[in-house]
This record gives sequence, structure tokens and C-alpha cells, in this order.
Amino acid sequence: MTIKEKGYSHWDGEFLVRKFPWWPITRYGIRLTFQRKFFRLAFPLSLLPAVFFLGLIYVSERLEDFPFLKGEIVQLLEISPNFFKTYLTQGFMLFIMLMIVIFCGASLISDDLKHNSLQLYFSRPLKKKDYFLGKIAVIVFFLFIITLIPGLVFFIMKLVFSGSLKFFLSYPWLPLSIIGYSLILTGFFSFYTLFLSSLSKNRRLVAILIFGIYYLSEIVYLIFRSEFRSHYVSLVSLRANLQQVGAHIFGQKTPFDISWIFSFLVLLGICVFAGFILKSKVKGVEIVK
Amino acid sequence: MIQKNTGKLSFFLSSVKNVYSIFLFMGRRAKKTKIFFLLSFLPVVIAFIIKFNQIFSGRGNVRGIYIFSNLIIVFYLQFLILILALFFGTSVGSEEIEGQTLTYLTTRPIPKSAIILGKYSAYTTLVIIMMAVGVLLSFFILNLNNLGRFSLYKILVRDVVVLALGIICYTAFFTFIGTFLKKSILVGLVFSFGWENVIQYFPGSTQRFSIVHYLKSLLPVPRTGRFSFLMFRLEPSPDGLAIFMLFLITAIFLSLACFLFSYKEYILED
Amino acid sequence: MKPIIETKSLSKWYGNVLGLSDVTLQIEPGIVGILGPNGAGKSTFLKLITGQIKPNIGIVRVKGQKVRNNYHLFSIIGFCPERDFFYEEMTGWQFIISLLKLHHFSPSEIESRAQKALEIVELVEDKDRVIRSYSRGMRQRLKVAQAIAHDPEIIVLDEPLSGLDPLGRRKIIHLIKSYKGEGRTIIVSSHVLPEIEAMTKRIILIHQGKIFAQGDIHYIRDLIDTHPHIISIKCSDARMLASKFIHQDYVLKVHFSSSNDSLLIETNNRDKLFSLLPSLFIENKIEVDEITSPDDNLQAVFDYLVGK
Repeated sequence: MTIKEKGYSHWDGEFLVRKFPWWPITRYGIRLTFQRKFFRLAFPLSLLPAVFFLGLIYVSERLEDFPFLKGEIVQLLEISPNFFKTYLTQGFMLFIMLMIVIFCGASLISDDLKHNSLQLYFSRPLKKKDYFLGKIAVIVFFLFIITLIPGLVFFIMKLVFSGSLKFFLSYPWLPLSIIGYSLILTGFFSFYTLFLSSLSKNRRLVAILIFGIYYLSEIVYLIFRSEFRSHYVSLVSLRANLQQVGAHIFGQKTPFDISWIFSFLVLLGICVFAGFILKSKVKGVEIVK
Repeated sequence: MIQKNTGKLSFFLSSVKNVYSIFLFMGRRAKKTKIFFLLSFLPVVIAFIIKFNQIFSGRGNVRGIYIFSNLIIVFYLQFLILILALFFGTSVGSEEIEGQTLTYLTTRPIPKSAIILGKYSAYTTLVIIMMAVGVLLSFFILNLNNLGRFSLYKILVRDVVVLALGIICYTAFFTFIGTFLKKSILVGLVFSFGWENVIQYFPGSTQRFSIVHYLKSLLPVPRTGRFSFLMFRLEPSPDGLAIFMLFLITAIFLSLACFLFSYKEYILED
Repeated sequence: MKPIIETKSLSKWYGNVLGLSDVTLQIEPGIVGILGPNGAGKSTFLKLITGQIKPNIGIVRVKGQKVRNNYHLFSIIGFCPERDFFYEEMTGWQFIISLLKLHHFSPSEIESRAQKALEIVELVEDKDRVIRSYSRGMRQRLKVAQAIAHDPEIIVLDEPLSGLDPLGRRKIIHLIKSYKGEGRTIIVSSHVLPEIEAMTKRIILIHQGKIFAQGDIHYIRDLIDTHPHIISIKCSDARMLASKFIHQDYVLKVHFSSSNDSLLIETNNRDKLFSLLPSLFIENKIEVDEITSPDDNLQAVFDYLVGK
């Protein structure tokens, strides 16, 4: 009996490049998040502030029907870039964003590390860049639902309720500010979350780190503020930096008497650092020492 | 031959001790412990920066013990011990279920409640050590000029004991949450930074439905002014009652955790 | 002989998925193989008899005692789970030592037992490496080591041979067989018939949560042998090969592929056919690309047995 020799031969087929190779990762991530019963119950609640702000826009156009509204409340109903800034930068909204990224982002990489599935990803026609894009897009999807989309809806509804283009002509740049700040918010939270998710296989630990580091930066800021009495200490607070940049983008007075550029650089620095760590942590092969 | 030692307290305690020694050993070497050890050293860095600033700016007028007491409340009481207790408390049950290692423990001749109590004790010990090291170093750095004053050590001991009580109580509560719920971390975060904070704003007996109320009752009410952002409407309970309540809460939640862990069915799944 | 494990009407559901249905059986000392395809209910059965999950209906008794929450029983039970999970940061040695501690042995006894168990599974040289650096086969052997380290009377092994190389497999089979004469009860599950066959003659066939057949393996073999086997041969001259054994009475049918480079043979005596093939290939200078048996898996066997 002759035994046929078998060897490797080059593959001559055509390599099909998908247009969006990251999309299956995103789709799976979104589906998985929605499969969580607790999330399905809690996520609609995160839209309550948007509904409230939309109500304010409605009331602002019909002030004559609400004669009992006087003083400071009427000032709050003045729809200007400050109104949009308030919605997107208030501490409560940032807290909601934090809870959402814990829900949808804590396990994005840590579960892949836990189940050794990185090798499976990278044994397919998928680059690291596509992997990260796919994961980031999951966070972007959920954060846009509570930032970009409500922001643009507010703007459109203001025009619809007022029945004129006066608001648009007064602030033609406002839609760009909404888009720009939403991108900064989602960009920062995406890098921050994925970075922490890549540090451990334990998703509970990642969830605690996402919350803890954000909260910790606030505590350190409060302690240093009392001791140093300088606006520069606000740079240690993630919340303060996001609010500082937000105020500038919406053309408002910044909450701290320092240039917004510093805050922007801090956020950018965190993203660059996170990106660098992510690149080194996410590998197709794990070498166990 | 089946070893029948039912009813023997020493057998139960020996089971708890064995579980304790295993998880103390494991916990000490775990990566998560190292991360939290680093976190608990942050107040030391803060204390060092503040001291450094005081020395070089010539603003040494603020007493070290005052800053230390505020550090205890802001950093430890309202943040660190909550985070540590939440993670390690929920880990007692959840890590065995999520890591699917529960089988190795439940197929041994030890009561399931011994697993809970042993792991709880081991993790509580670890967390208390983490906290105590940071507190001691911060204390010495901030009070560098007054280390000879005996009264300061009384404050140190009081603060460490209150924080240790907090860790014992919170860890017991989160141990119960971890054995009871799948989404223990999120529920724990909402409890720690939602409920425990918000309820302090309410007057009268309402705030007695929080653990932090009893812990704050054991500490002197901070003066307003600096760190005034901390001030809530604290209506303290007497010391004796506060300590009794903390132990009662611990006992109740540990018993519930043991009961649940013994009778609940955990289906290990991917 | 007095049964060691008894179950009556044992049933288990996971939500609306049936895990096990109405299982009544008695297991006596010796080696018993639990055989069934993936998802048949083998692991559910083993989890029920080790008290890790609660039955919805029915009872389990081990040595006449209820098993769930009866922790004393675990001094005589050793369990090797199917799933590949460990305390990854521990070394193999620390893992075994830690679990032995829970049996209340003295420190010296713990060490000697751990050493012995690791020697049996041949992990002594690697005992100080962290588990997460172990290969799949080493991890499997470590799981077996923790199940036998306390010298239990009842050993329950859920798919102990999965992930092992042929040599490792042989060693574990040899180990399991060595326990046979010691009066122990060993329950081994697998979805690979030859693996179980190599260890014991007593098997329980489980399928779709039900006990399908139980008893001596020859009985099961006979059941299987009454059904024809299909063998596929891809070779240089399929028609010539067919002409050489077409007259054999154990060859029932022959099919050719459309490309004429392979043939499917249906036979009721696979062993005879296989013994004939090599000489046919050599004598007729036939080049062979591939010989496969498309239905040589447990699922196919079950399909035969359930009459699909």
C-alpha cells in the first residue's frame, strides 16, 4: 500500500475583506447587554432626565400657560447652549453614564480574557483595530442613546415647538457642539472602560474599578481642594475635567478658573495611556510565566 | 468509613479554621488583593503630599489630627471600606459560582456554612489589614510633629476600631448579597453610594436604616468649615447601641448568608 | 450485593429543559460506566448523586443516606467534575493540599496523601507550577488527583479522559481499573464507547435524560452489532476494490460516489471487513486516501437503538 505524501500548499483563493469586520463584535455585545434582565429594566430609567429636559423645552415655549412659574425656574427654562451643557455635564448624568458603562462595558474584554477567546478572534480575518472598534462601538451605542440623540432631539424639538428658525440662526454651531461633546464623552468613557476591562479576568473587579476610580478622583479632588485652595487641583477629578471641557464646547463660563485645555489634555492623556495599555494587553497569544 | 462528628462545635470551628487558612493564603497572593492594597495606600500618598505642602509652604497651622480625622471619614468611611467590603464580601459566594470552583468545596466533609464563615473571616482579616496599614502610615505622616502626644493614639485606636467594625458589618452584608443575587456588584454599588448616602439626609429615625449611621455615631461630629461637604444631619445613636446594632446586623446577614448558601441551588453555567 | 447508590424516579429540569427524567436504578460496588452523547444527562445524573443539585422529583440515597447537605458523606466520596475550572493562581501542590485540609487530616497525613495522589497521576515534577500554566491534560490529571487523594470509597468521575493524550488516557484507565479489586464503587461517565469499554463491562446508557439501557456491555454490543455499519473508503480504484469483497456474505451493500473515487460499504461484521482490507490493498496495489466510519460514534449508535 502506498501512503500518499501530504504537505502544505499555498491557498490561492480570493481573500474577502468585509467592509465592517468589527460589526459582528458590536452586534453581539449589544445583544448580550440587552439579554440581561436587570439592564432591560434599568436602561429606560436612564432616559428619564432626557424626558424631563424635553418637558422643559415644551414648557419654555408655553410659559403663558404656566403663570405659577416664577423667578429662578423661569431662568432655568431659558433654552440656550447652557441648557444643553447642563443636560450633558451635570453630575447626575455623568453618574448614569458610569452605571451604563459598568453594565455594558465591564465584561467586554475581561470575559474574552477569562474564556481565552482572544485567540479565536485573531484567528479570523480581524485586526486588533477592528476588535477594539467593535468593542468601543458597543459603549458608543449605549452612550449615544443618552447623550447625542437626546441632545439633537432637544435641538430639533426646540425648533419645532418655537415654529421658527430663530434659535438655529442664533446658535448655528450648537448641533456641532452637541456632536463634539458627545464624542468626547463617549470616547473618554470607552477608553476608560476598555482599559480597566483589559486589566482583569474578573468582571466584578472591573466593575468596581470603573466606579471606584471615578469616585476616587472626586474624593482626592475634594481633599486637595480644601488643602491647596487652587483650581488646578480640579485636574485630578474626572468629573471636573469633563465638565470643564463641556462648558467650553458649549461656549459657557468654565466652572474652574483654569484653561479648559488642561482638562482636555488630562482626558486625552488618559485615553492615550489607556490605548497604549490596551494594545499591549490584548494579544492573540498569552504567555504564561 | 463516614466520619460522623455532628453536633461537635469543635468540628465546625475546625472546618471554619481550615477554610479560613486556605482563603487567607489564597487571598494574600491574589492579584485583586494587590490592586486593592495599592488603592488603600492612596491616603498615605495624599497624607504625604499634604504634609510636604505644609512643610514647604509654611502653612503648618492646620493640625495633623484634624486632617487625619477628616481623611478617615471622607476616604475610608465613605469610600474605601465600602469598596473593599463590597468586592471581598460579594466574592465569598460569587467567586465560587462564577469561577465554577464551588464543586471542589461542596464535595468535602464540611458544612456549607463553614465555607461561608471561613471565607468571610479570611477576607475580613485581609481587608482590615489593608485598611489598618494605610491608616497607621497616614497617621504617622500627618502627625509627624506630635508623635509624643498620647491623646492622639487614643484617636487612632478609636478610628481603627470603628473602621474595623465597619468592615466587619459591611462585609457581612455584602456576603449575604453575593450569595443571594447574581448582580451583586451593581446592587452593592447602589446600596453603598446611593442608599447609604441619601438616607443620611433624612432626619429622625430614618437614618438608622443605614450602617454608616452607627459608624458615624461612634465618631465625633466634625466641625463645619473645611470639609463641610461631608456634613449631613447626623443624629447619633448612643455608643453602646451603635456597637450592638453593628454586631446585630453582622450576625443577621451572616446567618442569612449561611442559610442561603446551604439551601439554595447554584447551577454552574458558562 | 447491597447497592451503594440508589435512585428512585429521579427527575431534574432546568427551567423548561429536561435534564433527567424518571431515573430509577441501583449501583453496586465495582466500576460502572455512564455512557451517553453530549447533553444526554450524564453530568446532571452525577451532580444529583453527589448532592450538588436538587432533584425536582425523586430521591437519591448513598449508602442508605440522603446526599444533599449531608456533608459527612463526602469523607467517602471523591468527585472529579467535568468542567475545567480551578483556583488558577495556586500551584498543583497547593491545590491538593488545600482540599485535603478540608478532610481534617493531620498536616503530615495531608502531605503524604497529596504526594501519593500526585505520584499516581504523574504530576509530581510539575507540582510547584501554577495551575494556569498547566496543559489541558495536566489539568485533567489534577482533577482526578483531588478526587482520589483522600482515598474515597466512592469515586465519581465525570468525563475523566477528555483532553488527555493516548498515553495519559491509558494511565487513567489503568488507574481506574486498579481500584476495581478494592471493593470501591467507581462511576465514570463518557461519550466515547471504547473508553468505557476499556474500563468496565457494566454500563448504563443514558439518552435524552432517560436511562436507555443498563447492564453488561456485551448486551449493548450485541444490540449494536445487529445493525449494519457503514465504512467509507476513498482510494485510487474503488470499483476494483469493491469487486474483491462483493462476494463476502457480511457485505450487505456497496455504493459508489459520483466521482468514482470512493465507496460506501454496509456491513454487519465490521471486524472481519477491517481484517480483510489491508491484504486487498497490498495485493491489488490500491492507493488509499482515507478510511472513515461515518456512523462510528455514539450518537449514531443511539440513533440505531432508538430506531431513527
